[in-house]
Amino acid sequence: MLAVPASRATMPRRPRIGVVKFASCDGCQLTLLDLEDDLLAIADRLDIVEFAEATSNRSSGPFDILFVEGSISTPEQAVDIVRLRAATSTLVTIGACATSGGIQALRNWADHDAVRSLVYPDPEYVESLATATPVADHVAVDAELRGCPISPDQLREFVTATLAGRRPDLPDEAVCAECKRRNVVCVAVAEGVTCLGPVTRSGCGALCPAYGRGCYGCFGPRESANGEGLATWLGRDRDAADTARSFALFNAWSPPFRRVIDAAGGPPGPIDGRLTEEPLDA
Amino acid sequence: MAAAATAPTTAFLPRAGLDRLLDTLRADGRSIVGPTIRDGAVVYEEIATADALPVGWRSDAAPGTYRLTHDDAARAFDYGVPVTSWKRYTHPPRVPLTRTTADGLVEAVETAVPPMAFIGVRACEIAALDIQERVLRAGPEGDVDHVRRRDQALVVAVECALASSTCFCTSMGTGPEVTGGADLVLSELDAGFTVRALSEAGKAVLSRLALPAASDQQIAAAADQVAGVRSAIGDPVPSVGLAERLRAAPEHPRWDVVAERCLACTNCTLVCPTCFCTSVSVTSDLDGITGESERTWDSCFTLGFGRVAGDNNFRPRVADRYRQWLTHKFSTWWDQFGSTGCVGCGRCITWCPVGIDVREELLAIAPPDAAPAPIPWPPAPAAGHAPGPLPVVEPARYVSAEVSGVTRETADTVTLALSTDDPDLLASRPGQFVMVARPAQAVPPISISRIRSDGLDLTIRGVGPATEALIASTPGDPISLRGPLGRPWPLETAYGGDVVIVAGGIGLAPLRPVIDAIFRERYRFEAVRIYLGARTPRDRLFVAEMAALGGRTDLEIEEIVDRGGPEWFGRVGVVTQLFERAPWTGERTTAFVCGPDRMMQATARTLAASGVAPERTWLTLERNMACGVGVCGHCQLGPYFVCRDGPVFSVAELGDTFTVEGR
Repeated sequence: MLAVPASRATMPRRPRIGVVKFASCDGCQLTLLDLEDDLLAIADRLDIVEFAEATSNRSSGPFDILFVEGSISTPEQAVDIVRLRAATSTLVTIGACATSGGIQALRNWADHDAVRSLVYPDPEYVESLATATPVADHVAVDAELRGCPISPDQLREFVTATLAGRRPDLPDEAVCAECKRRNVVCVAVAEGVTCLGPVTRSGCGALCPAYGRGCYGCFGPRESANGEGLATWLGRDRDAADTARSFALFNAWSPPFRRVIDAAGGPPGPIDGRLTEEPLDA
Repeated sequence: MAAAATAPTTAFLPRAGLDRLLDTLRADGRSIVGPTIRDGAVVYEEIATADALPVGWRSDAAPGTYRLTHDDAARAFDYGVPVTSWKRYTHPPRVPLTRTTADGLVEAVETAVPPMAFIGVRACEIAALDIQERVLRAGPEGDVDHVRRRDQALVVAVECALASSTCFCTSMGTGPEVTGGADLVLSELDAGFTVRALSEAGKAVLSRLALPAASDQQIAAAADQVAGVRSAIGDPVPSVGLAERLRAAPEHPRWDVVAERCLACTNCTLVCPTCFCTSVSVTSDLDGITGESERTWDSCFTLGFGRVAGDNNFRPRVADRYRQWLTHKFSTWWDQFGSTGCVGCGRCITWCPVGIDVREELLAIAPPDAAPAPIPWPPAPAAGHAPGPLPVVEPARYVSAEVSGVTRETADTVTLALSTDDPDLLASRPGQFVMVARPAQAVPPISISRIRSDGLDLTIRGVGPATEALIASTPGDPISLRGPLGRPWPLETAYGGDVVIVAGGIGLAPLRPVIDAIFRERYRFEAVRIYLGARTPRDRLFVAEMAALGGRTDLEIEEIVDRGGPEWFGRVGVVTQLFERAPWTGERTTAFVCGPDRMMQATARTLAASGVAPERTWLTLERNMACGVGVCGHCQLGPYFVCRDGPVFSVAELGDTFTVEGR
């Protein structure tokens, strides 16, 4: 999705900002607090009216910009997001949970009741949906910041661009482009490491490959992500389940990654049907 | 940079003397960049001593895989081709361009460029440096950062002693022998190096080293070694006729087959030593007013690279992008720059994460003739290459202007009158454009819609944040301009004949200076006919001005709208309906056309049916122009950069590049 800011004419001088969360770990919200050097200036330019991690201010809107973390996992959240959308001009999803469902979307392949009884001793008290889904499945989204967690640089770019009435520079290229600009040696080609970089959106600055690890796709699929193409190549020397495991992480439910996982018959590992008969503590 | 070679004498540098060579080069204040091992590969980085060289290392390169092996050999340059290419140092991945001045204008950022010596440059890499030089330097405008880097660099070549399985320099005519383009050429033997100087700078280094002459046996051993590389590589991609065969295959089914494998990840283009494409990115401060811009490596494999205003895209499919890359490298590069765009180094094969082999694709898409002609050797120097004293224009050199008037034309379109006293801008010609910079905003190219004695008019439709910010300008606002840029309408070719002007929507803006110019010198032209199309009556531009033209007796002017309305009594339909049954014939007519692509295609067909020659049918194209100096590659169209070779082209010049989807 292309982030298109509200035009400068409609964005007030000190826009009202909200930060809310659904099913998530709060890590992306905390990235806002990690903008330490700019935090005071940001607080000066933005009127932060709702941000549970940072302020006791509470607001039900309206919001000029609402940052939404987390996936929609409960019936209550499915109602809340619709209300928040109606109170918001520019709705921005932040992080893998909000943009593609997050790690918890692995349950979308599994038997809901079985999973619940695995996690909770008394599942009858837990009201949850059978699926954890991205915000965009429920309401229109104006822009998204990817990552698990999001990148502070991209967050700063989104904020400064919006204040300047400029299109944020959030490239939808592959992680590979960042590796090559940094002169990071390709871990896939030079070491045979499984790396999702070619199908994953840049924005992290090629963090993992720079430390000799393969990209595990936490920014989710880039445009034209050819997951099948990469899976075919990886499949030369491993089985389909092994390949699917690489895709079955934070952005597993995003369509390009989901197709690879589906082709292997679902995500392998402790969430598939087998372990429902054999609880973790057994 | 190397001058012409003059009968080099060959010296011998003992292996232990390598550090003396490096020290001598460093004594001139140069930093030394050469091959070294990092993270399981050979990379080019700054090195301190010869100990940093990959002594004893070899690489096994194959499609999609690369592994280093080590043995006890003392040789330092048997590692094949590194992952890094020299463009990292001659055309770096990030170059700062502009920043905001205190008075709200945009100025160029000066970057310090250290002098460098490149150690271990292969024959194919010398060819690549030369090819990038033609693109980034060979005018009419060049890139100042590149020129500084290249002019100061000293090239120490090392001829290959081993071939990799991915090498095909022999097919591209670029190696493995080093015949020029270097200051010094080394050939590595077990005991040391034969050394030839190919330039005055190289000779100076050699004389300071005071080396003994190489023996005949050493010279012969070096020659045998590189000859062995040539025969080991063979001729994997017969290149005779390749450009033509590729040009004839724009619809080959293989493009879709390779697109299923291709990840469009950009690795091939970013490791390629000749790919030069960049994008300009803008960052701004929290004040929303000040900002900076920089140029970064980009690639024609990204979707964003083909994106233009209004979120249209020239190359939506991966097959389009692969075709663009391959046909440019091996075919239209010849038309554009007089050389191959590929040097056969094999990096794109090795570093493709799914092992796509460009040699296989070429053989499938453009198979060689049954009996290919032998490759000419040594290759003839490409014609027209003269990296001489060409003008160098800084891509970030802006001049100041001020908004002196704002006229709203339609709901989404505004004409800004800009005042400036810059003589170059005031000498703009019809059809040219300017890059319009405001701090903290992207820099769009905008056609000039009127050339006045004290400034320029720009007529701008708000289609995105940058243009919307521009049309929100108020009188007194500072604006930074770079230009005039591009090829103007060739008005003089219409002298003594009839003129037809066809405009669709905002396309009237770059044609208004044509109308102005015609009426300044009306006697030069016979009949003048103007046909205007617009989406709705409310989208018509310059309404009063066009109505005034309608009162003149020395021209015909007609207009039509796609959709009428209660207040519209004129014609409804597409613009070609205005003249498809016109009584005039086109033999003596020159046409100037601007509008959306489809409108221009239909207009070109209708004009051709009326007898207007394709050589006399002139269009102006909007591509994704981003840098405006012909170095970023965004506006690549067949063999042309639209910003530099256009934006005005004749239908004859464009040929099928204008009609094939995804080009």
